[in-house]
Amino acid sequence: MASKPWTKGVLITTVFLILLPVSLLAIWTFTGRWPWPGLLPKTYTLRTWQELLFGTASLGKLLQSSILLALVTAGVSTVVALMTARACVVYLGAAGRWIQWMGMLPLIIPGTVLTIGCHLVLLQLRLSDTWLGVLLVHVLTALPYSMAILTDLTARVGTKLEEQAQLLGASGFTAFYHGSLPGLMPGIFASMSMAFILSYSQYFSTLIVGGGRVQTLALVMVPYIQSGDRPLASVYAVAFTGSALLVFAILEGAAGLFRPKGGR
Amino acid sequence: MNQTRKAVVLLLPFGALMALLVVGCAQVMIQSFGWVPAFSLRQWTLDYYQTVLQDESFVASFWLSFRIAALSSLGSMLVGTVLCAALTKAGGMEQAVTYLVRLPILVPHAVVALFVIQLLSQTGLVARVGYAFGFLEDSSQFPQFLYTGEGNGVVLAYLWKEIPFVAYFTLALMGSIRQGLGQAAENLGASPLKSFWFVTLPLSLPAILRSGLILFLFAFGGYELPMLLGATLPKALPVQAYLEYLSPELRDRPYAMAMYGVILVLSLVLAGGYALLMQKTLKRLGGDADGQ
Repeated sequence: MASKPWTKGVLITTVFLILLPVSLLAIWTFTGRWPWPGLLPKTYTLRTWQELLFGTASLGKLLQSSILLALVTAGVSTVVALMTARACVVYLGAAGRWIQWMGMLPLIIPGTVLTIGCHLVLLQLRLSDTWLGVLLVHVLTALPYSMAILTDLTARVGTKLEEQAQLLGASGFTAFYHGSLPGLMPGIFASMSMAFILSYSQYFSTLIVGGGRVQTLALVMVPYIQSGDRPLASVYAVAFTGSALLVFAILEGAAGLFRPKGGR
Repeated sequence: MNQTRKAVVLLLPFGALMALLVVGCAQVMIQSFGWVPAFSLRQWTLDYYQTVLQDESFVASFWLSFRIAALSSLGSMLVGTVLCAALTKAGGMEQAVTYLVRLPILVPHAVVALFVIQLLSQTGLVARVGYAFGFLEDSSQFPQFLYTGEGNGVVLAYLWKEIPFVAYFTLALMGSIRQGLGQAAENLGASPLKSFWFVTLPLSLPAILRSGLILFLFAFGGYELPMLLGATLPKALPVQAYLEYLSPELRDRPYAMAMYGVILVLSLVLAGGYALLMQKTLKRLGGDADGQ
C-alpha cells in the first residue's frame, strides 16, 4: 500500500519537530553571542566544550558515577522482574495477576509522592543520603517497565525446554541457564535499556534521597538550566543525552545479537 | 510445599521493594492526618486537609497541575493516535520514522525544558523567525509561553515528549489490528477512514487510554518541568508541596504531607476508575481487556 499524502505530511512534520530542537541545542553549544533578532549566532566559541571537558565539574567522574548507578539499577530491576515473573508464571498461576497489578503501583503513584514516601522509610533505616538508598528508589521506578517486558515473555518462553533438560539429569540452575535463558535474552536487554534510561534521567529522587551525597549528571545539569547560561546548559544537555543514548544503543545492539534468526 | 517455598523465595526482593513503597505512602498519609511523633505531633485530625483545601494558593496550584496534566495527556492521546495511524501504514519511510520517534521518549525531561526555552522564549528561535517574516516588531509581542500561571510551556514540553510515547506504545496493537480486522473491513467495502474509525480505533483504545492515564498521573505529580518552566505563582502542586516539605518549621510537616496526600489519593482513584472501566468493558466484550 503506497503512502497517502496525509501520512507523508504527518511523518515529515514529526521528523521536523523532533529534529528542530535537537539541532538548535547543538548550535547553542558553540554559541558565543547570539543577539536578538539574528537567526544564527553572531560569534562562535569552544568555551563551553572546554569548560565541560577540562572545567571544574570533572565530567569523567560524573559520567562514571551516573552510568554505574544506572547500570546497577538496570541489572537489579531486571533480575527482580525476572524472579517475580517466574514466580507468577510458573508457580502462582491466576494469583500471579495480583502480583502484576501490584507491580504497576510505582507507575500509578506519581514520582514525587513515591520519592517522599520512600525517603521517610529510608530515613528510619538510615539509608537516606546513601548510594544504596538512591539505588532502591531508582529500582522501584524502573520495576514496572521491567515487569511489563519480562512477564509476558516468561509466559511465552515457558518451561518446557527446562523440564526436558531436568528429565535428562541437568540441575535446576543448569536447566534454566541452557533451557529458558536464551529465549529470555532479548527481553532481558530490553528491560535493562529501559531501566537504564529511567535511572539516568532521575532528578527529584536522586536529589531528595541522595541528599547531595550522590552526584549524577542529571543533578549537576539542572542548576545550569536554571542559571540561564544557555551555552553551558546546552553542552551539559548534549553530554547527558549523548551518553544516555550511547549506552542505550549498546544494550539494544546486544539484544539484537540474541534475537532468533528470521523472526522479528 | 517445596513449590510454594520456591515461589516465596523468588518473590522476596519484589516484596521488599513493594513494602518500601507501600509503607512509605502509608507514612505520608499518616503524617498528613497530623501524626508525626518525631516532631511531637500526636493528634489525629483533618485540620491540615481542611486548611490546605481552603487555601487559595493551594487551590490555584491544584487546578494548574490538573490543567497541565489534562491538556498534555489529552493532546498526546489525540495527536499520538494520528501519528500512530500514519506509522502503521507499511512502507520504508515509516520504519525510519518509527526509529526516530523513540528519541523524544529517551530524552530526559530536564533537556526537553531546555528545548522549550530555546525555541519558545520571547527571544527564542520561533520569535526570531516571526520577526524575520515581519509578524513581530519586537520580541515582547511574542506570546508568553514560559513562566506563566497557565503553564502552557510545561504542556508543550510534555507534548513533545509524550505524543511519541502514545504513538510508540500503541503501535504494536494498532498495527496488528489494522492488518487483520481493519483489512478485512476494507475488503468488505468499508472506506479506509470508516474502517479506521469503526474498527481499528475502538480496538486500539485500551492501549491509547492506558498510555494517556500513565501520562496524566506522571504530569500531575511531575516536578522537573513545572519547576524549570513554571511561574513563581501559582506553582504546580508538586513544586508547592516540596517547598512546604523544605519548610524549616518542622511542625508544618503535615501541611506538605496533606498536599502529597491529595496527589496520591487522586492518582489512586483515577487508576482504580480506569481498572474498573476496563473490567466492565472486558465483561461486555467477553475478551481480553488488552485486545490481545
